[in-house]
Amino acid sequence: MEPVIRLEGVARDFWDGVRRRRVLQPTDLEFWPGELTVLAGPSGSGKTTLLTIMGLVLAPSAGRVWVAGEEVTGLSEDALATVRLKRFGFVFQSAGLVPALSALDNALAGRSIQSDRVAPGLRERALELFDELGIADYARAMPTQLSGGQQQRVAIARALLGEPAVLLCDEPTSALDVDSSRVVLDTLKRLARDPKRGVVLVTHDPRVFPYADRLVKIEDGRIASDTKDKAEG
Amino acid sequence: MRRHIALRMLAHDRATTAGAVLGVVAIIFLVGQQLAVLNGLFTYMSVLVDHSGADIWITSEGTDNINSAGDLPTRYVDRLIGLDDIAWAEPVVSGAGFLKRKDAQFQPVRVVGVRPPRMAGGPWDYEVGDNSVLLDHDAVTVDWLDRRELGDPEIGDVLEINGQRCRVAAFTRGARGFSGTLVFTNEKKAREVGGVPDDRCSSILVKLRPGANPAAALARIRSLLPRAAATPTPELSANTRLFYVTQTGIGSSFGFSTLIGVVVGVVIIILTMYATVLNRQRDFAVFRALGARRRDIRVIVLYQALFIGFIGILLGFFLLAGFLFGTSGSRLPSFMPLWIPPVHALLTLGLCVVGSALAIRRAVRIEPASAFR
Repeated sequence: MEPVIRLEGVARDFWDGVRRRRVLQPTDLEFWPGELTVLAGPSGSGKTTLLTIMGLVLAPSAGRVWVAGEEVTGLSEDALATVRLKRFGFVFQSAGLVPALSALDNALAGRSIQSDRVAPGLRERALELFDELGIADYARAMPTQLSGGQQQRVAIARALLGEPAVLLCDEPTSALDVDSSRVVLDTLKRLARDPKRGVVLVTHDPRVFPYADRLVKIEDGRIASDTKDKAEG
Repeated sequence: MRRHIALRMLAHDRATTAGAVLGVVAIIFLVGQQLAVLNGLFTYMSVLVDHSGADIWITSEGTDNINSAGDLPTRYVDRLIGLDDIAWAEPVVSGAGFLKRKDAQFQPVRVVGVRPPRMAGGPWDYEVGDNSVLLDHDAVTVDWLDRRELGDPEIGDVLEINGQRCRVAAFTRGARGFSGTLVFTNEKKAREVGGVPDDRCSSILVKLRPGANPAAALARIRSLLPRAAATPTPELSANTRLFYVTQTGIGSSFGFSTLIGVVVGVVIIILTMYATVLNRQRDFAVFRALGARRRDIRVIVLYQALFIGFIGILLGFFLLAGFLFGTSGSRLPSFMPLWIPPVHALLTLGLCVVGSALAIRRAVRIEPASAFR
């Protein structure tokens, strides 16, 4: 079995207006399918930076990245976009739904953004996912008509529609109440059981830790600990 | 899906979409209206030439527009008739005059005298009457739309032009000149009114025989009449229009107004489309993060520009059609040749694409990482 994502010496610098600042120290990490990994750390620790580098959204200042066994370091922006489309599913902090599109269209947009057509069967698959996630009645609803938890489940449906190898979630429960958070986390935990898919979740909320198969803690841009099984806060 | 996304975003941002559509409507209507009026004036400028039925016009040497032609010896007519290629040649006598209205006010007119029975160069369309009325010695025509300017004359009213008695015998339709109200009469009356002697005329109209070679005939006429200008009708028409466009303020005035219409419309399109992209930065960032390439973002904004263009063009032409319908048969000259609307629509659509360039530039620069902030 090969890791869904492999990072080797990945680091990231930012220019803060005065000087160059390293927000992510050189990091080696591997993420495996069938595993829910929680990246935890306080605000500004570099966990979202790490997530965006893993998701090929942000280029590392140094280091190399492999996705499903293929090195993607140095690929063009368009090539990286295509890898994102085919290999990744993203769940953003505030769901990131497009207000102009219905819930179903939001889900379809994630997979069909490079085309003028929706692939045959994709609409039906999206509706199945809506059904599995308990939001089948809201397929035609606009995002403003949905609760935070419902929006986040639409975002999960959007992320899953392309059968991604990796699901990257950026603080998906930070804007949700306790009940909605539980539903979303249960869903993510269930999805991580798929042996072909890895789930990586960024959070600073200790209540999420019990859901993790693996807990990676980050502090000041460094991996402070990397604990597998029975992760604890 | 990109097309669907583009349209849904436009439908969602109704106010900014309406603003951009308004920009396109402004271009279509303002520019279209200017072009219609300019073309209406074009038809006035060369109205006598365009409706003469002649193939070649003989005018005084150096004539650059028909309305400022000097005079010619009338005997040229006899010389021209002698050529094999020529079916007929007819003189036209024209000159300025002052028409005394029923209320004793004077109105400047341009008197055009044509030779019976052919009446070449005479009226081509009548509201009331026909060419035969000009056989009557005192008969003159006035245009239906010029009646108010000429004091609302009725058929049979007796008026004076340059102190000479004239009788309104017919109303023409669409016979309106650029350099004065046109009054048609017969050759003899025109000479009387304008004080033009029998051996002089303003121009000579030439019709070629069927099958004649126009270039060869023109060359023969030019060698026969070296002291006159022989010009094919289309060329004289174009020269006359060109003269007014370049030698008067009309060209620059209409050009400037048209340019302002285009600039205003393009600026509205640019600003509203740019504002739309700015308002939707997060949405574009999400699309980019999900896997949209720069070209996909370009396509979405381009679809929006084209859709705005189509809607604006439809609405603009609807308004323009209303303007043309409302001004047809009025004193405001407006004429829209059939080739203008498709060209105008295509150019406007091109402007929409150009207008969206700034918005596209902004949209493709949105960092996908900003979706995570």
